[in-house]
This record gives sequence, C-alpha cells and structure tokens, in this order.
Amino acid sequence: MALVQAQYSGRRGVSASLRLSVLQFMADPQWLVPSMIAPVIFGLVSFELFAGYGGSYYLIYAILGAGMMSMWGQTLYGSGWATGQDRVFGTLEPTIQSPTPYLYVVLGRVLWNVVSGLIGGLIVYIVVVAAARQLPAVTDPVGFAVLFVFVMLTLAAVGVVFAAFYVYTRYAGFIQNIGEFAFYVGTGCMFPVVILPFLAWPASLFFPPTWALDALRYLAIPGYQGFRWGFWWDLVGAVGTTAVYLGIAGSIFHRVERHVLEMGNLSDY
Amino acid sequence: MSSSSPAIETVGVRRVFESRKGFLFREVTRTEALRGVDLVVERGSIFGLLGPNGAGKTTFTKILSTLLSPSGGKALVLGHDVTTETAWLRPRIGLVLGGERGLYNRISGRENLRYFADLYGVPAAEREKRIDEVLARVDLVWAADRRVEEYSRGMKQKLHLARGILHRPEILFLDEPTIGLDPKSARETRKLVRSLVTDGVTIFLTTHYMFEAEELCPQIAVLSKGRIVARDTVDGLRKLVGGDRTLEAEAYGFEDKELDIVRHLPGVSKVVSEEYGPSIRLTMRVRTRETTPEDVSRALPGHPELSVRERRTSLEDVYLDLVEEEAR
Repeated sequence: MALVQAQYSGRRGVSASLRLSVLQFMADPQWLVPSMIAPVIFGLVSFELFAGYGGSYYLIYAILGAGMMSMWGQTLYGSGWATGQDRVFGTLEPTIQSPTPYLYVVLGRVLWNVVSGLIGGLIVYIVVVAAARQLPAVTDPVGFAVLFVFVMLTLAAVGVVFAAFYVYTRYAGFIQNIGEFAFYVGTGCMFPVVILPFLAWPASLFFPPTWALDALRYLAIPGYQGFRWGFWWDLVGAVGTTAVYLGIAGSIFHRVERHVLEMGNLSDY
Repeated sequence: MSSSSPAIETVGVRRVFESRKGFLFREVTRTEALRGVDLVVERGSIFGLLGPNGAGKTTFTKILSTLLSPSGGKALVLGHDVTTETAWLRPRIGLVLGGERGLYNRISGRENLRYFADLYGVPAAEREKRIDEVLARVDLVWAADRRVEEYSRGMKQKLHLARGILHRPEILFLDEPTIGLDPKSARETRKLVRSLVTDGVTIFLTTHYMFEAEELCPQIAVLSKGRIVARDTVDGLRKLVGGDRTLEAEAYGFEDKELDIVRHLPGVSKVVSEEYGPSIRLTMRVRTRETTPEDVSRALPGHPELSVRERRTSLEDVYLDLVEEEAR
C-alpha cells in the first residue's frame, strides 16, 4: 500500500468543512430554532415594540436589531461553537492530526454560518415585512444589501479569531457567554454605538462590525449621525480592521495548535 | 531522509502533564507520563507496545502521531521529527485511537470518511473508490449510509480503522484496535492488520490483549510507569523473565522451607506463591528441561492433594512478571 501523492489543500479543507456543516445542520433540525425560528419571533416582537413609536424607519430597526440577533450570534460564534463540539465528539484530534491546517476547517464553517445567517436574515426580512405590510424605508437598498453581506463577513472575521480560543481551551464557551452580550452592545448590533459613552468607543472600534454596522446605518437611515467621520471612513475602518483580524487569524491558529500540542488538552471537553 | 531510516526512533522521550485546580488559588499538579523512552522500530512489521493502564501507551502513541509534543527527548517517525516536521509526516501517518468518540455521529459512516478523505488529501478522483475499498476491508459496506449514532461499538471501531487506512499511510498507529469487537470481528481486524503489513505498512500497535500481541507482533516492548522495561521477541521476553516453561503446583499450603527447596531445583529461576481459591499456587519459571512436574512432586512430599502442571510460559506471564517487577 504505497502512499499516493496526497492532494490536501486549503480549498478542499474549506469545502469539506462546509459540506460537513451543511450535513450536520440538516441532520439536526433543532438548529432551525436558533437560526431560523427564533430570529423570526424576535423580529416580530421587535416590530411590535418599534411600531408603537411610529416613524418610517422603525422597520429597519426591527429587522436589524433584535430580529437578527440570533443571526449575528451564529455568524460570530457558530464556528467557535462547532470547534467546541469537536472537543465533545472527540473529532478535534483526528482533524488536527490531518495534514489540512485547522484554520481551513474553521473557514468552511464560517462560510456556512454566513450563508445560513443570510438565509435567516432573508426569512426575518420577509416575515417582518409581511407582518408590517410595507417595505422598510432604506435610503440606498442596493448599497444596503451589499454592505449587509460585508457586515456578515466582518463578524465572520472576528468569529475565526474567536474559534481559535475554542481550540486553545475547553473554557472558551464560558468566556464567550460572558462577553456575548457586551459584544452585541459594544459593536452596535443592538443600537448605534454613538449613544454609548465616549469612553466606550475605543474598545468598540477594535471590532470590525462596529465600523461596518455604523456604515450600514448611514445607508439605511436618512440623516443618521453616527461616528463623526462619516460613511466612507466607516468603510475604511471596517475593511482595515477586518484585514487585521484575518491576519491575526492566519497566525494565531498556527500558534494555538503548537500550544495545544504542548498542553495535550485536545481531547478535554 | 532516506527510506532506510527506522520507522520509529525515540531517544529519551519524556512527557509531563500539568493539571490545574482552583480559580483564585491555582494548584498545579504535574504527572510524568513518560520518563525517557528509547525505542527503535524497523519498517515493514508490526510492533506491539504493552503496558498497564496509565503506563503511557496512549501518550507515547499520540507523540509519535504528532498529536502531542514531547516535554523532552527526540522522536523521529520515518526519519522525520514529530514536533518540527508535522506537515511532512501527517499525510504519511494513520492513527486509530478508537472508542466511542472521534466520529460525527449524526452523519453516515460514508460521509465521515468523505470528510476525512478530503482533509487527509486522498486524491479527489479516487475518493469514492477508496472509501468503498476501505469499507469493504472492514466489512462495513452494508452500514455505510447509516448514521454513525446507529452503529454498535464494534462498528464504530471498524469505522475508526477505515478512516485510519483511508489515505494509505506508510505507518499506522493502532491504539487498542480490537477493544469492543466481538471475537469474529476482532479476528477479521487482526487479519486486516496482517494484510496491511503485507502491503508494506508499518504498524505500531498498543493492546491489552496478550494473545493479540503474541499472534501479531514479532517484536514487543513493555511500557511500565513511563519507561520501556523490556523489548524483544515473545521468545526473548520469555527467556528474560526466567524461562519458556512454567510449572504450577497447587496444595492447601506450603512452608517457607519447601519454597526454598523448590527455588533450588535445577533451572528454576523464579517462584511466586499466591492464593488460588482455597489453595496456594506456586508458579515456577523454568529455564531448562531438567526439572519436571515429577521432580516438583518429589520435592514437596506430605501433600496428598498436590497437583503439578506444566505449560508454556505465556506472554501474559511475561507481562505480569515485568510489570510487577517494575512496581516493586
């Protein structure tokens, strides 16, 4: 049994991981609750709350705010959570032992989480619009749609870095639970960061979604006053911080893997 | 590195685990799992590693399969360093840790293999053919499209094995591969292991089953308390513990002076006395043919109930002798 030239590659790793994520999602219908059903319920509740206040842009708050909270969470933590599951299943060891760097496995999961997040977002959009019987007022619908996808990618970039913590330690879920709500508040998932105290801004600006979500609001809400530097610098900031996060992800996984091989905690859960 | 380098070569491999307890006041406990393991395994054969629970077998296997860094010493597999040359080694290594974990339970066995085939770089054009081939080798074709959660423990074990050989590794690490298998499946697994060697794969096997090691492994090492305490062929190990013949004498009790008499019989290298139900059993390792069961009967007069049997020293005897000696 001679070794045939191994043909592992990042692309195959990503596609294998993406396929596995889809299969696991399909095999386990309970995921429909957090990823599809809960966002719709939150969206409808949020719509009812905002509807009472009137105004022509409340729909977009309903959709982007509470309605899509689960979607944000899935995009951000889905890949890390799946790594935590790898620990529980005992599949982290054979995956790490394979020649494909684990980063590519995470990227495949991130891709699925972005796609499923977008599907969930679309469902929330359709249901809330149907309930409101009107389209949300958005200043620049095309730009909004494009930027919305980009927001998901900024979340995914942070998610890749978070996933490294799940490889690093079995306590990553605990740390995530502590930081999750603060992350939503601090990055503007729930409401604009500009209403937070000025001192909170530097910490918020450390995360790419903060910039991207602020830019998104510029496109959605006429007269929106976000960070004083305006839409285009928001966009530059989002691209820049995303690039930094992806760079960190590229190097952190190699270091984390070396560390866990030294610690010998890959099978702990 | 040339293909003439040994399959495995370790020098002074050590591994210390640290576990931490407490939140504010952390208490660190260090456990030395391996205390300097020196071992050379040649290519193209089955090498058996025996040892009691906690001896360090799995730790050693994980180090050799690049899943764990040694705390000290040097470990080469196929002539390459397991710590610094993982990218070269991983496509060439197969690892079967076995057990209930290590598989995606919600998807089918075939989908598990597809996933790992991609990660291990099985050529895309060959993937499906290779999956069918390994499923056939482990006799799991009939259940390939069932979810793994419906598998019995033995079926999971077979799937682990299928995954381990999917990418046609040059060296395969098997950590207790037949545990949980019924006798028929275990026999088929041993047959498969032998056939892999015929295909040129080097097998590094850890097992608790002595007969399995005796049947499969031309060379065996015994690991105890993180050290290799013996390494030889099965016959060599028999000699090491004092002979390939074992005599067992049973009676209701023996006096110390009788034990001394037996110890001084020609060729008797070791005498162990232990309770055996209502009786006492003397187990004697015998190096030569000089002492027979009749000699032992004559040396122990006054025991009408005495029975003496002769049998070949088993690997289990050897193993127990070595491990008990190390424990002392």
